[in-house]
Amino acid sequence: MTPRPWLHGFLDLCLLAMLRERADYGYGLSQRLAAAGVADVPGGTLYPALLRLEEQGLATPAWAPSEAGPRRKYYAITEAGLDVLGGQADDWRRFRDGVDSLLSPSEVPHD
Amino acid sequence: MTDWPTAFEAELLRLGVQPARARRLADETAQQAAENAGAPGDVFGPAHLYARHLVAELSAPAPEAGRTRFGAGPVMLSLSGVSKRYRRQTVFADVDLTVRGGEVAAIVGANGCGKSTLLRICAGLTRPSAGTVKRTRRVGLVPQDGGTAGWLTAEEHFTLFGAAAGMVPGRARSTGAHLATRLAWRPRRQQRVQQMSGGTRQKLNLVLGELHAPDLLLLDEPYQGFDQGTYVDFWQQVFAWRDAGRAIVVVTHLLHDLQNVDHVLDLGER
Repeated sequence: MTPRPWLHGFLDLCLLAMLRERADYGYGLSQRLAAAGVADVPGGTLYPALLRLEEQGLATPAWAPSEAGPRRKYYAITEAGLDVLGGQADDWRRFRDGVDSLLSPSEVPHD
Repeated sequence: MTDWPTAFEAELLRLGVQPARARRLADETAQQAAENAGAPGDVFGPAHLYARHLVAELSAPAPEAGRTRFGAGPVMLSLSGVSKRYRRQTVFADVDLTVRGGEVAAIVGANGCGKSTLLRICAGLTRPSAGTVKRTRRVGLVPQDGGTAGWLTAEEHFTLFGAAAGMVPGRARSTGAHLATRLAWRPRRQQRVQQMSGGTRQKLNLVLGELHAPDLLLLDEPYQGFDQGTYVDFWQQVFAWRDAGRAIVVVTHLLHDLQNVDHVLDLGER
């Protein structure tokens, strides 16, 4: 799985991307991150990040009951969240392409 | 031993979180732990550490719109090609650094790589072996330690340092007391510096460096001995100065928090 320092810069991006697909609560998001093979994010990293998104107005929470156990706080992405997601997704692609280009063997001209 | 949610809430309060908000955060954190079918201590680690982590996370600047950056102001400090040698030993060479009003620069690197020496060069207290230094007139320096007199009280220091900057005693004292509260410190009237803890002494240094409202603030690890809550306050204070248009140079060996500064000068890597 991803080394933690890498994730740190892109956790918000991943969370916003998942919320764009559908509203979700903390534990559900951590399972989706793990299932995607991105990272096993500890609660101490995940929940502060969600709270930060909420306070920055990028995601908005709604409480919903669960079949078993305590009620859950579902987060939905906001307009502002979509804007930030768009910008960060571009940053991510540039970064990914840059790293890829460094990793792939340089093209030797054939002649 | 108190239980986890109580300890967590108490630490949030101690860090200056409003009571209602602290209660809400404690409740939510308990629910989050339940969501993960774990005890809070297993999910989040020790209560006081998680409280500090959460407060630090929530005070981080928002992406894009969140940070109200003013356009960088006039150049307050400019180093070009600065070197320092002692005899044959080169401490550092060819350092360039420009810091404008509204910017924060961090000087980082291992012990002994000359961070404090470079700061003294910025302040004009030490002469570089080569290169040029230009700085604004009003400079505040907060040394790592020293600069204060053990037998004087905080108020007496405010008066003394204020006088050096041309402030009348009453104004120097009230300014000093006001700046102290921003660092969560209320100086006691009778207490002499020699009776203060290391952290409190550093707060005094910080207040003295800022007393005359300098345009350029030079800070040498000024939070040594601060506890975590005050450490968070310290960085908030740095960013408040920055947003007020001042230029700040901080010497530090701590690498977190650097994502929020404008320039990082790594003396160790050179």
